[in-house]
Amino acid sequence: MTLEPLTRLDAPALSLEIDHQAVSVPAGTTVLRAAELAGVYVPSLCSHKELSPFGGCRLCTVEIEGARGYPLACSTLVADGMEVTTDTVALREMRQEILRLILSEHPSSCLLCGESDDCRRSLSTIRKAGVSTGCRSCPNDGDCELQQVVERVGISEIGYPVAYRGLEAEHDDPFYDRDYNLCILCGRCVRMCHEVRGASVLSFKYRGPRTLIGPAFGTSHLMAGCEFCGACVSVCPTGTLADKVSKWDGVPDGLETSTCPFCSLGCRVELAHKDGALSSVRAGHDVELNDGQLCVRGRFCLPEATHHHSRARQPMLRKGAYFRVASWDETLDEVAARLSGVAPDDVLMLVSGDLANEGLYAAQRFARVGLDGAGVDSTARDRLPGGPVFWSRLFALPISLEALAAADTVIVAGLDTRFSFSVAGVQVRRALRRGGRLVVVDARESNLARLADRWLRARPGDEARELAGLLADVRAGGEGAAGAEAVGGAAVGGEAGGGTLAIVIGPRVFDCPGAGELLPELEALATRQGVSILPLAHGANVRGALELGALAGVLPGPRPATGGALDLARLRAGHLPKVLYLVGESPFATRPDCELVIAQDLYLPPFEVDAFLPAASFVEAEGTLTSIEGRVQELRRVEHLAAGAVHGRALPDWQIFSDLAGRLGRPDLQYGDDAAVRAAIRAEAPGFAAEGDRRRRAMTPLAAGTAPVSAAAAGGRPQDGGSSVEADDGPVGRGRFVLVSEHSLLRHRGIDLAAVVEGLGELHLEEGVALNPDDLARLGVEPGGVVTVGLGGSDLVRVARPDSDCPRGAAYLVRDEAWVGPSRPVRVSIRAGDRSRAARPARRAPVAAAGPRAGDQGGGHGNDR
Amino acid sequence: MAAARSRLRSAAGPAAPDPWPTIMREFEGRPADLVPVLQRTQEAFGYLSPDSVRRVARWLKLSESDVFGVATFYAQFRFSPPGRHRLRVCLGTACHVKGGVQMLETLERRLAVEAGQTTPDGEYDLERVVCLGCCALAPVVTVDDAIYGQMSVLRLQGLLDEHAHA
Ligand code: SF4
Ligand code: SF4
Ligand code: SF4
Ligand code: FES
Ligand code: FES
Repeated sequence: MTLEPLTRLDAPALSLEIDHQAVSVPAGTTVLRAAELAGVYVPSLCSHKELSPFGGCRLCTVEIEGARGYPLACSTLVADGMEVTTDTVALREMRQEILRLILSEHPSSCLLCGESDDCRRSLSTIRKAGVSTGCRSCPNDGDCELQQVVERVGISEIGYPVAYRGLEAEHDDPFYDRDYNLCILCGRCVRMCHEVRGASVLSFKYRGPRTLIGPAFGTSHLMAGCEFCGACVSVCPTGTLADKVSKWDGVPDGLETSTCPFCSLGCRVELAHKDGALSSVRAGHDVELNDGQLCVRGRFCLPEATHHHSRARQPMLRKGAYFRVASWDETLDEVAARLSGVAPDDVLMLVSGDLANEGLYAAQRFARVGLDGAGVDSTARDRLPGGPVFWSRLFALPISLEALAAADTVIVAGLDTRFSFSVAGVQVRRALRRGGRLVVVDARESNLARLADRWLRARPGDEARELAGLLADVRAGGEGAAGAEAVGGAAVGGEAGGGTLAIVIGPRVFDCPGAGELLPELEALATRQGVSILPLAHGANVRGALELGALAGVLPGPRPATGGALDLARLRAGHLPKVLYLVGESPFATRPDCELVIAQDLYLPPFEVDAFLPAASFVEAEGTLTSIEGRVQELRRVEHLAAGAVHGRALPDWQIFSDLAGRLGRPDLQYGDDAAVRAAIRAEAPGFAAEGDRRRRAMTPLAAGTAPVSAAAAGGRPQDGGSSVEADDGPVGRGRFVLVSEHSLLRHRGIDLAAVVEGLGELHLEEGVALNPDDLARLGVEPGGVVTVGLGGSDLVRVARPDSDCPRGAAYLVRDEAWVGPSRPVRVSIRAGDRSRAARPARRAPVAAAGPRAGDQGGGHGNDR
Repeated sequence: MAAARSRLRSAAGPAAPDPWPTIMREFEGRPADLVPVLQRTQEAFGYLSPDSVRRVARWLKLSESDVFGVATFYAQFRFSPPGRHRLRVCLGTACHVKGGVQMLETLERRLAVEAGQTTPDGEYDLERVVCLGCCALAPVVTVDDAIYGQMSVLRLQGLLDEHAHA
């Protein structure tokens, strides 16, 4: 096991002297860290505060009274009464010599060149080169640890023959480039990937002068299981590893701490901005939350999601045969006029669970009050299977990522953290590194199953019942019961000596039959000390949608409501409203047959609409998001580009509702700014931390008797009782499979992120149907072939994706926006498919409303790809 | 109880024919067994294929990159199937003095591979060794188990021609 690089808070304080300055630090601190605390600079390159000491660069040598030779500050622990000297002539010369050696294998000409500064000033763009031959052509220029160390250590010549390794720069993987000619073999990336991420994609390969960093056999990072979390890029002290999207942006103008808008963990992010636009994203450092880590979406996908060229930034109106850009005034007048003429029962508003709290609240209030009782609902309902009451009780449990990282026993069900909820995966590994045990309940060989002490391989689609059984065993503490065995016989919670337990439940589990049985088990366990639970759902603000009443049958608070006439379930059952107002939603593949379809989003939906209202993205407006832990965290605006033909005229969601309300003669629904919306939220939902509160907060559950709006919409009890898996009695095997359909993790509002973020598209995460390679061979499906899934009379033809993580006899697919099949696992027949009938790739790029009617594209806003 | 129904799956993966079951019986599957396991694997297959590395990684709960990193640190492991014949050129002191380097360069040029590699047709492995213990015969080249002493560039070319036609 690697050293835990954190010092314990209760460690006794030791006193020592650094450069004759008295310092007092807790035992277990390294000399390097003690010097840092005392404000003494000791050059270092390989050490990093989040990683174990490595002792590779040898720059941090110091002199310690009584110690022989020159110990390394980064890997020497302080002792009481130590006397450390960090700056002597001998040390200085030694450091210079070491640095010369390092630089002799680094394209260092610019570092030592006398014209360096003039060069930077006059040749400011030569750096946009594919390969770096010196600082001026390096993406790290100006923001480089190696440069800083060279400056501090002060060298002006090398005196050794300079070697350029001549390695080919690696540009083939998505998201970040690698040019190992710049690598100084400090090993930070390797340790980050291994110790913190637990992905172990990188290692030192070969030895001596051929030493190289990378995955086994020179395979791509993609093949080697890289999570594309970018943690290695962030710790690299050189320009070896660099973000593709912001590589040539140069040093950012500033950093703003904000919240990741892509999932309900609500990781802290630092938004680097340059010239009034978002440049790149770095991980924020909240120890209770993501603590310097992100997943691929947060780390790499924000800039493209808001800047993609197909972003629709202008209001648009359909006039006769034309769909064209219009002014806000014209568009809002038209929309208001058409809305005011319809009966409330004929209007349905669908609001995405990815909107900020302000947008969610303003949306439902506009529909319920402004439109006199129009229907409101959200696809967040699909992401909260079991319904609002069920989830309000889950959100009342002790939910804590921090407790997960410190748990003695971790139970994870139905979750692979490579690309989704990766930060939870990091916390699981942190628990393991501290000596915790991991029990995984999953039919798939997930990335966590590979690390597990116990892997309870459930039958496909049966994770909920398996988990419920395990929890019952744990609760009973039954001697010799399988559950107790699985958790290592450790007593959990409560009694003295009982260990802490964390239970992590992936979104897929809540769609499984028997999920309803989980709630009583979880609630019973939650009464014990030291038990934390992490129920995961896709959608950035699904908890906000529930608390702020963006669901049919729920009012802000949340309080139960007797809803409008329409909701999502009735819509799907074919009860189309006359007017459909889509706010960040596009749950159809083709235009639903309504008289008026209004869309309000970042991108145009994939079907024709009558009015389009461009909404501001997560970096264009201030707002707040509610995390799964109940934290209400701010979204910061970093983009300040002049509204107009070039940068568009997007407005925050709440402001669009406010402007419409004004036109409908409802000044009571108008807000002067985002703070006014929050004031309204506070008045109506006092239990909600409207002003933003970064602390965890348990939700007050909705009353159990909440009247369902329509039986299907309320979801009733979650998937319990007669299960679909068993309803169809055909045996699995010989062409019979269990089909598990999952929510997409790449949706943001109405778009598929894979369509706008190039790197995500290259990963092909959610395409086709995943099957065990053995099953595919038995079906006679060639690599790259298609399969036909017989789904309740209709056939689904999709590309087959061989995936050895899948158990035999099961097929996994991701529901796209127009999914109409069941959400539970079902038995289906699968056969080799007919390629000619294959649907076009399920994932699509957002396109302008198709057909000749899209003819007049107005002011060249370029919505075609 | 649900958990009692669970099939606790062994981490070993599906049983394969060939040497794996035997190899896996010989070790406890701890990460510390890595180097002996790799040695045993190479003994059984002649080299470490990507598939072997993957199996070892999953078995010992390491990543493939970790396994590969360790394996490439040791000169004894190879990652491509061995050639049908093994050509060794001695570069020990005596052979070096007597022109071993020319022998090696001749072979590298003729076979278009570098020392440590296998010809693309899988015919020859070219290796350099340090002293074969018959310095009196320097410079020495061996083909499989046969030792050829007092080599010259011409004799070496002849030897290969002969071998190719044999
Ligand atoms: S990594 Fe740093 S020191 Fe090296 S070339 Fe780039 S900017 Fe210069
Ligand atoms: S991106 Fe993350 S998972 Fe991939 S190599 Fe870097 S640290 Fe490892
Ligand atoms: S790639 Fe960067 S972090 Fe990794 S070893 Fe090289 S210099 Fe260090
Ligand atoms: S920082 Fe101490 S050896 Fe590199
Ligand atoms: S040096 Fe070649 S055999 Fe001894």
